[in-house]
Amino acid sequence: MEQVLATTLRSAAPLVLVAMAGVFAFRAGIFHLGLEGLMISGAFTTVAIGDATGSVGLGILAAIGVCMTLSAVYWWVIGPLGANVIIAGLGLTSIGLGGTAFALGAIFDIRGSMFTDVVLPRPVRGATSGPGVIISEHSILVWITPLIVLVAWIVLRRSRFGLRLAAVGEYPFAARSAGVNPSIVRLQALLISGALCALGGAELSVGTLRNFTENMTNGRGFIAFVAVIFGAWHPIGAALAGLFFGFADAIGIQSQINITERVPREFVLMIPFVLTIFAVWLGGLWRRRTLEAEAGYAELREPDY
Amino acid sequence: MTGGLQRVASTVLLVVVSFMLTALILWVSGYRVGTVLSGIIQGSITATGAATSTIRWTIPLLLIGLGVVIGFRAGFFNIGGQGQFYVGACSALVVSLGWREGPVPLVIMCGMIAAILAGMAWSLLPGYLRVQFGTDEVLTTLMMSFIGALVLQYLTAGPLRNPSGTGQTAASERIPEAFRITDSSGVSVTALLLVGGVAVLVWLLLERTRFGLTMTLVGRNPTMARWQGIDVRRVGLGTFALSGALSGLAGAVELHGPGARLVTGFSPEVGFTAVVVALVGMLSVWGTVVAAVFFGGLQSAILFLPIVTDLPPPALVLLHGMVAFLVTIKFRAVRRRRAGLAAKPVAG
Repeated sequence: MEQVLATTLRSAAPLVLVAMAGVFAFRAGIFHLGLEGLMISGAFTTVAIGDATGSVGLGILAAIGVCMTLSAVYWWVIGPLGANVIIAGLGLTSIGLGGTAFALGAIFDIRGSMFTDVVLPRPVRGATSGPGVIISEHSILVWITPLIVLVAWIVLRRSRFGLRLAAVGEYPFAARSAGVNPSIVRLQALLISGALCALGGAELSVGTLRNFTENMTNGRGFIAFVAVIFGAWHPIGAALAGLFFGFADAIGIQSQINITERVPREFVLMIPFVLTIFAVWLGGLWRRRTLEAEAGYAELREPDY
Repeated sequence: MTGGLQRVASTVLLVVVSFMLTALILWVSGYRVGTVLSGIIQGSITATGAATSTIRWTIPLLLIGLGVVIGFRAGFFNIGGQGQFYVGACSALVVSLGWREGPVPLVIMCGMIAAILAGMAWSLLPGYLRVQFGTDEVLTTLMMSFIGALVLQYLTAGPLRNPSGTGQTAASERIPEAFRITDSSGVSVTALLLVGGVAVLVWLLLERTRFGLTMTLVGRNPTMARWQGIDVRRVGLGTFALSGALSGLAGAVELHGPGARLVTGFSPEVGFTAVVVALVGMLSVWGTVVAAVFFGGLQSAILFLPIVTDLPPPALVLLHGMVAFLVTIKFRAVRRRRAGLAAKPVAG
């Protein structure tokens, strides 16, 4: 059981970090399906730069830079250039997945996995049995994640920027009237989102593991997005949803748990998706919310051909 | 038709820009773009079997792409083609393996019908939630797609697993050879007639029937359509059903054609590429045919490229992403902004 809880924390941390990214984008009215692409770009850059410089810190900084740059380009394409948010987001995901796998082959001449010596520091370690296992061997990012959730909550709830973000997401016209430029606020939200995706990717590649593997995010970016919806785009809600999905992942991994002998692993892995369909359906809220965020979403409803 | 011409021009321009950006990335990474280009032409047209292979990859892209066209035309973003394709293929597999002794044409037909029904079901659930409760279909079709992939993974690793299989990835048993409509090249007269017939039917439906017109009206302006007495819910359900049916059929054609068995996570990109195909085809049937051949050619070429250059295959995913990223850019939005008339708030 301790092992499952420890695995839950490790599985959940990247999800929660990327879910926070999704919350910021969602609050700005952007249905961000590019999270997966940003996350894998973050994972790759951390390993590539971290390995080249021998410093995990530099690797993470570079990852944040790359992901923020990609986010800025995404903003430019869906904002000033008027591209469709969903399609461009899915495109960004493919660019990330394809681009990192391509770069792995083109730069390092590797197919599959690239191993590295750099790893995030692990503040608490050494426990082999008992409750200590739960908190042992986690990377520093796992420890920081709750703090990030808290900060995200305070920023969204209490800061001037949070208010502006809410205004832009819910009623851009009013925001504009109050002298706020929605476009700039959306850019800021996407930049924050990019940085958080980089952290999520870094935790995935050098937190628990020490490698980068093609397609290693394996849909986690989408699951994080699901956590945003499931958590009603509230930082705490999304974090709890991420934690829950991490738990589902952990019991899928822990084959010694009896449940997986009767229930195949695939069905455990379906839980987040099935629950989300229910959540989206039952929460009639969702529809209201999309209506509110219609401005960031309007092009969708008028396929222009 | 200047508007139409402008659309064609801007789409072609955006696709060219996406290609040039990808070429730039390849060039910076030290690949000779000329070699890659000639490799693409060889691998999609001129090399032995290349043209056949192009058509083989065109078929699923076209079928799923036409489903996307139907959905998008009516304003419904059905992006779950991948999952519908998988459950379609799985149903056809169950039919073929469960009825090995059956008469050949009947089994194939039942397999296809089962696949169509499965694809339909996979698409109708989000569709029903959409028209009945207003549940956003982007999210639900995406979720159903992931679930479909897991269903395939479960079946190929569990109940339908080929026990004598040795490969790294789980695969099902093969269906009897008699149940295949093509050999492993994936192209035969039967398959071509089937797919061509479907394309013509979809064209007739969209451009020559009342239902097609209604769909387009709903897509353009649902409120107005409702005021004109159109049953938007019925149209919506019909759209989702057809869209899913085409993806499901694509799964059956894949199984009864080149596949013959199912492998966990086969053709992982085809659902998303079909969305790109439909958009590049400007949501018109013939445009989608052209785009499907084009992207089918690229898919075929990427399998051939290792012969002439060491370009990693994920470069194709990168290219697809680049096209999707840029192809929906609206020049009108840009011009409006330039003219200082951007009163309507836009995303971003």
